[in-house]
Amino acid sequence: MLDFMLAAVVAAFLNIGLLLVTIGTYIQNMRVIRSYYTSGLVLVAALLMIQNIVIVIFWFTLYMDDKVLMMSADMVAHYLFAINVIQTVGLSVLVWITRR
Amino acid sequence: MSCLEVLKYLTRNVSETLQSGFFISSTNVGQSVFGTTVVFPIFLFPEIISRNLFSFLGTDNGQSQTDPRFKMILWFIIAGTRGGVNRAKILNLIKDTPMNANKIAKVLNLDHKTVIHHVQILSKNDLVVKAQKDYGAEYKLSQIMQKNQKVLEEIVEKIGTK
Repeated sequence: MLDFMLAAVVAAFLNIGLLLVTIGTYIQNMRVIRSYYTSGLVLVAALLMIQNIVIVIFWFTLYMDDKVLMMSADMVAHYLFAINVIQTVGLSVLVWITRR
Repeated sequence: MSCLEVLKYLTRNVSETLQSGFFISSTNVGQSVFGTTVVFPIFLFPEIISRNLFSFLGTDNGQSQTDPRFKMILWFIIAGTRGGVNRAKILNLIKDTPMNANKIAKVLNLDHKTVIHHVQILSKNDLVVKAQKDYGAEYKLSQIMQKNQKVLEEIVEKIGTK
């Protein structure tokens, strides 16, 4: 059976990678065009990245602490998996548009 | 738009709708929550949003004729994609005189393939149009782009001389 929690974290790492690519592009553009628009894009991407980093930290904390918590976390893991995978699909589209 | 203006706008709309008889009866408004009907003018919001959601984009309080939705698209294509700056430069170059890809590449000191790629993206997004002939076809700004040239000028200004 698929370990949803692990899959969710893999998706979170993927998201971080995709966001790194977008942030890289946005920063390159921000260096040339200084405006609220370019800095806004960088800010949005950075906030999304913080979100995914927090998800990874969340996962680590859950599995380090205690078994009871881990079991209840596994019960809802498919929700976290769905959230992250949907985000991965969305970010992939964004990266595809951005890097064209 | 200041808070006060928003408030005025809202109240004006409410009173107008009241007068035009949109509500069942004006006495309904202001009745207690536990009463029969409390009419709240939610239907007014789409109108407000479509008018003012992107008003922050304009520095001139909507004085110019540019389309805010188009402005958003142009900003994204230029500031939100790889090589967007070169796209802005191409648009700025063919603004006055239509040019073919070869000439654009020479003037901007870019690779011919890069220019072709950029121009293809630009024409896919309906920012430039290609002339009819196949070999050495010239590119010029599309109609909507010509209409909203001010937006381009604004962005090019921010690029500066780099």
